[in-house]
Amino acid sequence: MTTDTTTPAPAAAETAMTDASGAPSPAGPAALSDRLAEVWIELEERLDRVPILRALDEGTVTIDDYRRLLFNLRQQVVDGSPWISRAASNFDIDHFTLRAAAIKHAEEEHRDYLMLERDYVAIGGSLDELRAGRKNLGSEALSGYMFTYADRPNPVGLLGAMFIIEGLGAKRAAGWAARFQEVLGLADNQVHFMQYHQEADGAHTGDLEAILDSGIIDDAAADEIVRCAEVVARLYALQLEELDR
Amino acid sequence: MDGCHAHDTPVPYCHPMGTTASAYLTGFGRYLPGDPVDNDGIVARLGGDDPVTARIRGMILEQNGIRQRHYALDDDGEPTELNEELAVKALRAALDDRGIRPDDLRMLATATTIGDVLVPGFASMVHGRLGGGPMQLLSASGVCASSLQALDAAVSKVKLGEHPRVAVVGSELASRSLRQRRFDGIRAGMDSHFLRWMLSDGAGAVVVEFQPHPSRPSLRVDWVRHVSLAHEHDVCMRAGMDGLEPEVGRTWQDVGIGDAEASGMFVLRQDVSVLDDLAGAGLREFEQLVDIGLVDVSHLDHVVCHYSTNAFRDLAFDGLRKRIPTLDTDRWFSNLETCGNTGAASIFIALEEAWRTGRFAPGETILLAVPESGRFSFAFAHLTVVAPPDQQGAST
Repeated sequence: MTTDTTTPAPAAAETAMTDASGAPSPAGPAALSDRLAEVWIELEERLDRVPILRALDEGTVTIDDYRRLLFNLRQQVVDGSPWISRAASNFDIDHFTLRAAAIKHAEEEHRDYLMLERDYVAIGGSLDELRAGRKNLGSEALSGYMFTYADRPNPVGLLGAMFIIEGLGAKRAAGWAARFQEVLGLADNQVHFMQYHQEADGAHTGDLEAILDSGIIDDAAADEIVRCAEVVARLYALQLEELDR
Repeated sequence: MDGCHAHDTPVPYCHPMGTTASAYLTGFGRYLPGDPVDNDGIVARLGGDDPVTARIRGMILEQNGIRQRHYALDDDGEPTELNEELAVKALRAALDDRGIRPDDLRMLATATTIGDVLVPGFASMVHGRLGGGPMQLLSASGVCASSLQALDAAVSKVKLGEHPRVAVVGSELASRSLRQRRFDGIRAGMDSHFLRWMLSDGAGAVVVEFQPHPSRPSLRVDWVRHVSLAHEHDVCMRAGMDGLEPEVGRTWQDVGIGDAEASGMFVLRQDVSVLDDLAGAGLREFEQLVDIGLVDVSHLDHVVCHYSTNAFRDLAFDGLRKRIPTLDTDRWFSNLETCGNTGAASIFIALEEAWRTGRFAPGETILLAVPESGRFSFAFAHLTVVAPPDQQGAST
């Protein structure tokens, strides 16, 4: 299937964005939430073309595909809490709200990979092999980007990364879990990681929306958030495209 | 937006609570020790060549219909293997059949009536000999129906998604209890002759997995049921006690070992007078499965039934046919006559042969039935033949 996702007409956007004075367009900058929604829509279009997700959708996915997916995700998931922690340490006291949110979030996530490992073992995978695995090309890029970004002073743009990663957990992971269960006949005990993220990341996206709506995000920060979301969306999809490579 | 709607096929999820996996039998193996022993070859192994015993043996063999069996005994009646060795050989055959190794197993469930040693449990000994990695164990101990009790545990863990691969083995080495030295100086009534000329050795194993075999048909385990009626029946098949009533001071552990042997406590005995009741009770349990819809008689294609003697074959067959009018001998399988009565191993040895010889086709259903005389218990399992994943939708 193809999701009909209407993107703004480029011509209209170009003419609206600038005028002779270089001042903001008459319509004003698009709201941050609208800009992030556009990034999300583009990500969903891309996900529809990712081979393993297509196979999942079409019902041709195999148990080995699921095993590979967990294997590949795990190598990057173990880095999740560390980059959030690193970001937390780089927020100064003027960004206390973001620091507090990052600390809380890192604490909540730092054991998630264990759930993934249990699922992997429950479908017959070897824990030793899983733990000896390396990141795929996309995971390398994603993880490298996240750590580098988190090293900046006050890495506010990472809210865009959260928007993408938590959004995938909240909006897509449980659907993937259910579809894997349906196609492959898996027990709940074998899809914990993806099931869990619907609730946990749903809560996190709620926290994120509260921050985005709190008025502490200025225009420059908004640009950074959108840019970070764009990069993370692309790299996350790349991680799913480059399984085992 | 909700991920639920991102698929063409509506996904019935959002809160998939309590979803279980399926369990499939994907590998089958058996091991029958030594060459087959025909009826004339029994005496050399088990003894009992006096005229009275010979006459009783002839009568019992005629009744039970067993033409050949296997003993882990040499020509002089001395043991050649341990029970745990039989189990491991059957397990290796099942693993080879599936193309996996002991390292691939996460659980082992064993069933036997009497292991080789008193302590530790049989499964521990079998695991030790089989090798592989760390795994969960279950030693189901009982008599014939312990086979499906072990299977039930394995299937349950697989369905819960706790173990991807489990092996189950039923194994018996009864012959050690049937040899002449057990009977020297003992008054051996029909209660011991009946079993002495009926039981023999062997092991059967299956591999249980959460996914069907990738390239061959598998047997999906739809359910396993076990029920005991010990609350309303005395002991029927026994060893290690004196009489039918367990009493402190009168078990093999209370008296001296010499006294226990002298009084015949180590002889396997069966109260043959209640066996008709056993058959009747088993049929009532089967009827109940039909009545509650677990067995759909219009869609039951095969019955693999364990019974101790052909005398019960006709009883069971006629009883089942009351509810399954279309049941004919083609759809009824037992290899009692050629493999003997191997107790807890029997149902797996029969299933392996039925499977290997191509009796089952994708889409068909199979009922396994195992009555146990010990103290009246019954086990059943319902299986469905499924095509390999790449052929599903094409055939059935």
